[in-house]
Amino acid sequence: MPETVQLFVTCIIDTLYPEIGKAVVQVLRRVGKKVEFPPDQTCCGQPAFNAGLRNQARPIAIHTIQTFEKTHGDIVIPSGSCASMIRHHYPELFENDPVWEERAQAFAGRVYEFSEYLVDRLGIEDVGARFPHKITYHSSCHLLRELGVDRQPRTLLTQVREAEFVELPYTADCCGFGGVFSVEHPEISAAMLERKINCIEESGAPYVVTCDAGCMTNINGGLLRHGKTQRALHIAEILAGIEVP
Amino acid sequence: MVSPFRQKIRLALKNATLQIALDNNAERRNTARRTVYKSLPADLQTMRRQAHAVRKDVIEHLDHYLAAFIENAQRNGWIVHRASTAQQAVDTILEIAQSHQAQRIAKSKSMVSEEIELNSALEKAGIEVVETDLGEYIVQLRREHPAHIITPAVHLTRQQVGELFHEKFGIPLTEDVPIMTETARQVLRQIFLTADIGLSGVNFGVAENGIICIVTNEGNGRMVTTLPAVHIALMGIERIVPTLDDLALMLYLLPRSATGQKLSVYTSLIRSPSQEGDGCRERHLVLLDNGRSALRGSPLEEALYCIRCGACFNACPVFRELGGHSYVGTSGRHTPYGGPIGSVISAALFGYEEFGHLARASSLCGACREACPVDIDLPKLLLRVRAGNTPVPKRQPPPKANAPTPLKWGLYFFSYIATRPALFHLAQRLAGIGGWIVSPSKKWLRLPSFSGWGASKDFPRPANKPFREVWREIQDLPPAQMQLAIPGSAPRSSPQLTKAPQPQDLAEWFEKELLALGGQFLPCTSTDLAQKVLAFLKENHIAAIQTWSEEVLPEGLLAFLEQNGIQIALQSNPDLRAGLTGAECAIAESATLVIPSNSRRPLTASLLPEIHLAILNKSAILPRLPEALQRQEKLKAPFTVLISGPSRTADIEMTLTIGVHGPKRVIVFCIIDA
Repeated sequence: MPETVQLFVTCIIDTLYPEIGKAVVQVLRRVGKKVEFPPDQTCCGQPAFNAGLRNQARPIAIHTIQTFEKTHGDIVIPSGSCASMIRHHYPELFENDPVWEERAQAFAGRVYEFSEYLVDRLGIEDVGARFPHKITYHSSCHLLRELGVDRQPRTLLTQVREAEFVELPYTADCCGFGGVFSVEHPEISAAMLERKINCIEESGAPYVVTCDAGCMTNINGGLLRHGKTQRALHIAEILAGIEVP
Repeated sequence: MVSPFRQKIRLALKNATLQIALDNNAERRNTARRTVYKSLPADLQTMRRQAHAVRKDVIEHLDHYLAAFIENAQRNGWIVHRASTAQQAVDTILEIAQSHQAQRIAKSKSMVSEEIELNSALEKAGIEVVETDLGEYIVQLRREHPAHIITPAVHLTRQQVGELFHEKFGIPLTEDVPIMTETARQVLRQIFLTADIGLSGVNFGVAENGIICIVTNEGNGRMVTTLPAVHIALMGIERIVPTLDDLALMLYLLPRSATGQKLSVYTSLIRSPSQEGDGCRERHLVLLDNGRSALRGSPLEEALYCIRCGACFNACPVFRELGGHSYVGTSGRHTPYGGPIGSVISAALFGYEEFGHLARASSLCGACREACPVDIDLPKLLLRVRAGNTPVPKRQPPPKANAPTPLKWGLYFFSYIATRPALFHLAQRLAGIGGWIVSPSKKWLRLPSFSGWGASKDFPRPANKPFREVWREIQDLPPAQMQLAIPGSAPRSSPQLTKAPQPQDLAEWFEKELLALGGQFLPCTSTDLAQKVLAFLKENHIAAIQTWSEEVLPEGLLAFLEQNGIQIALQSNPDLRAGLTGAECAIAESATLVIPSNSRRPLTASLLPEIHLAILNKSAILPRLPEALQRQEKLKAPFTVLISGPSRTADIEMTLTIGVHGPKRVIVFCIIDA
């Protein structure tokens, strides 16, 4: 029996990009995992937490912890930002809480971001993917700076057959998403995104890969609005070997 | 109604000149910072953690360290004043000024003085106050606030400064930065020489010996703490380090993070008023609280660790779009502290209602924390401000989270459904249907502008079938069917960072660093030193110099120079073009001369003349900063200055210009005896 892994697909992928969720499942199965999807999962609570609404974030976090407490094994999240919410901000959310602080920590100990899980947890660098295009990589902020995950997705991408990897100028600069920031400060967000789009054009790659569906939505939203042909893709799509036009 | 903050944001984004200036600032400062970190004597992350631990210890035991610092400073002869509010600090300074019938105050950079709005109070009292940092001077002439804590005139182009100088000083219109700098040098030199009081900020106070440390590049910090008879130093109570070794650690990080320098040109260690020789006769220290004590023990305590290097401003993608003038309160009130740390401090010190919204203008990307040399977790603090976790004045209810109302209601609703999976699923289905009705053919939607998102980006149409439904279709596929044989491989090890080995010959190391700073290195022996100094003076047509007294210079040197027609003076004189000094020791890693003062070693000899000649024994070159700080401590000089190359500024368009207030040339005669 392959080892079981729990998928926390995130509310964005669940609602907007089911095909990315499917790609994650494909890759995990390909490396020999039995994937489970606890159906009660919704959101990690990050939007409310980032807005400062901790009283609203707490029940969502509790709901998430309870949902996964009923399961066993590692939990994989295809988003650096959501994984960081659980690993770094749940402890803050439940600081000095006699019940939930410990349970939040136990939960956080089981959580891995998708690329981190493959490379660090499983020791796998090549998932047998093929993608015959030039690709570049946008380092999502929370993945890079809060989880310290950067080598892992790059390693996975450099092993993709027929893909030509080029560096994205200023890859670590924020794309301007920032969750609620992008709707509270659309002007600043747009200006930051414009820089990112210029860098993507400069890289010469038609596809920019990210590990976060938030960044991906933001970047694609801007690319489409500006009539650009480049597209942002989630790393799971590349690793699963999607066909692109 | 568009808030003043949003108005400022829109103006800043539309201002093409400002955008270019801010890009320049970010590019240069961020690159310089990363490059110079490589010259640290230990791993950057280790040093950051150490610095964090030092600052944490200080803030947690501030009462203890502050008491020790004040006691030692008083023993050294400082007159110490405590001010719990901005008004008290202003009143104290006014009293000192009035007791000396001061007409004119020359000021070097002090963000605390901006915080207490000192300049306008002094002007109201009829006292002329002149900013002497080039950037601060430019914004003062324009009646503006500084736009950056390190680079006050970051928002201006050379053309704008050229026009300003043309208008104020009647010089021909110019775009030549050195000409503008020279003009400021001449105008401000008169201010230094005629000011009744010099006023400075403080970078660090050292608890163990009661000295204060001020770092500047132009030399104005030295001028205002040396030339006027009275010096007032203005300091936030949190800016303490316990020991000289802790100071060394901070000095490794502060200039590197602020300006990308190994050490600022002038690091002044001020112990006491001067009893004899040159230097201020009376030194006051004003210690400001202004809400800092209330921050201790609060969720925002870590903000007090800040050493005001400005690295988070330069790293912040939002600051890069806005600049410092955009950070305003709900009433339009200005705050001296913008950028990431300022968004925390302003809310914490000057009112949550007024400034709490600044913390919301962040994508929480964490570039600020990454750049912070004392590893302040800025995203965490920004999130706490958003949640209303700020210090509360007595008998007031804690503030509530300051999310805008529509967002708040949206998230209340979201939180309600996100804890009810069936309802969540229903909402997903409704969103999918709604999206399909709005846009049956296109997968990406144009949301209305008021949504925030729709103004500049398209939004993906929610899926008809959310993943939880897709899952039901794929969940029973047996793993084997999709499984491929993948050879596992061990994770690669990351490359080890190798530190450049410390050069063996300290004189060669010192020389290399000095040349990089634009200084000159002339090796000599004890026998040909006098000849070489004389040759240099003749070559440069210098007939008179200010020097130290002969007992503290190599034997026979001054007599030889006098015999050969050079006039020697101990007193400062604005007409003298060259100053000749010794050096107690030197630091190879940053090409720094360590120069103590006393009656036989006038401070002005290394400050006022255009050319500074320093005589250094090779045996006095130490590899690194901490040893040098310990060595100078033994002398207990009232004032010790660490000089790293010629005076410099980059205040106009980030253009490096040599020779602002201090010497334009530094020539080191290094005695290397076999």
